Amino acid sequence: MAETILEAEDIEYSYADGTKALRKVNMAVHRGEKIAVLGSNGAGKTTLFLHFNGILQPERGRVRFRGQDISYKGAKLMELRRKIGIVFQDPDSQLFSASVLQEVSFGPMNLGLSEAEVRRCVDKALQATETSDLIDRPTHMLSFGQKKRVSIADILAMEPEVIIFDEPTAWLDPRHAREFMQILDELSQQGKTIIISTHDVDLAYSWADKLFVMKQGQVLTEGKPEEVFCRQDVIRAADLNLPWLVETHFEFIRIGLLPPSSCLPRTKEELYESLDRVQRNIG
Amino acid sequence: MINIDQYVYANKLLAVHPAEKSFLALATMVACLISTSIYTPIIAMVLMAGLIIFKAGIPVKFFSHLMLLPITFLVIGELTIAFSISDQPGGFLYHFAVGGTLIGVTAQDLNKAALLFSRSLGAVSCLYFLALTTPMLEIISVLRRLKVPALFLELMSLIYRFIFILLDSAASIHTSQSSRLGYVTLKSSFRSTSQLFYALFIRSFQRSQAVATALEARCYQGEIRVLEKKFPRSMRNYVFVIVVEMTLVLFNLYLGGGKFFG
Repeated sequence: MAETILEAEDIEYSYADGTKALRKVNMAVHRGEKIAVLGSNGAGKTTLFLHFNGILQPERGRVRFRGQDISYKGAKLMELRRKIGIVFQDPDSQLFSASVLQEVSFGPMNLGLSEAEVRRCVDKALQATETSDLIDRPTHMLSFGQKKRVSIADILAMEPEVIIFDEPTAWLDPRHAREFMQILDELSQQGKTIIISTHDVDLAYSWADKLFVMKQGQVLTEGKPEEVFCRQDVIRAADLNLPWLVETHFEFIRIGLLPPSSCLPRTKEELYESLDRVQRNIG
Repeated sequence: MINIDQYVYANKLLAVHPAEKSFLALATMVACLISTSIYTPIIAMVLMAGLIIFKAGIPVKFFSHLMLLPITFLVIGELTIAFSISDQPGGFLYHFAVGGTLIGVTAQDLNKAALLFSRSLGAVSCLYFLALTTPMLEIISVLRRLKVPALFLELMSLIYRFIFILLDSAASIHTSQSSRLGYVTLKSSFRSTSQLFYALFIRSFQRSQAVATALEARCYQGEIRVLEKKFPRSMRNYVFVIVVEMTLVLFNLYLGGGKFFG
């Protein structure tokens, strides 16, 4: 198994008003994994993420990066924030500059790179998100999808090892959501570790290697998508729906279209294929 | 303001070095303000209008609309300068009596008013040239090279970025209030407006915290440092500016006071 790159151990956190945001959260992420954290609003996903790059400090428990407790001081903290990037949900809260060039260059400039280095990082990040042609456009004239891409380029320009996306497909139309998933696949192929939070169970089910289901500051369950979604009680307890693939699969078994022994399909193609097979066997 | 911002990003002088454009605008403005002749600022205004319309490609209608904006203020100011009060009719070109006092215009005051009028319009046209050809962030980058403190410049660029978000939020709150009849009567308008400002304040506060968090996540350590766009320098433009300014100053010396009246 690959190295454990990021680890939360029994972390607890409460907000200033005393609400418990996280209660003994444990989470281990391995290098190169595709992780989806599922949970309704207020489940503590964003709060957890802010612990991963040292924005928030847990009251109890610890966060480890590559086996070492993270440090909340100076150069070490900066190094951590470089290695673990967060793309926030609302690009208008992340993009602080009216120029795309200034925006994307902010991260690498903070790393103390030379101007030529920074320029190289910016160009690479813009290319990866297909936003090179936006470099001279003012931020406030971009569409929502374009802003989202630029907010991803912001993070890529720092060349992190782990990228965390907070509700990445929220408010995206189907086309932009599809294009976003392509960017995710490319990043994953480059060996980056990716964590996303989402309510979109269909997306999480087909895309992730591993799921965590959260509710009220706790991790209810974790595991491979097909395992997690078989535990319907937990899914219901977390106020989530079943992915349509899982639901259809069970329905087909119930009405006898599929044999009870057939395995859960991960994509719609797999589902159609097993239907096809059954049909041919009958014929 | 939003319209100016849209035109500026589409103008044809966008690729010219912002320092060159700022130099032309400021030097011409100074030439207008120190001018003792009413003709120099008028020449400057014609030059700026030509550059804005033909070189930058700003529509004549939009530019003339902009030029009309300061006229109202100017006319009110002019009236107070042109008219004076006296109890003797001597010296007045034209006067009328209100009770025992005479109100009228003298040649000297008229000349003063005319000079002020042309200086103001000349200077305003220079500012418009800068505003219509140079985006805010590039003006800020010129100020950075002039060693203006970083704090001011960071504030300027953040304010510029978030003005648009603020206006968007205000518009959406206003729409949602109007759709619930928030502005039907005068009383409800007042109430809705106060609620709009309250909601805007809360939203801005929350957003500022979110922005700070996002900056921190990207290793912000108290100073916003970014790459700025590079522009090609043109010696020709500098020569052009110097020639223009010298011509204006020479005009001024040659034409002297250039009196209209008396």
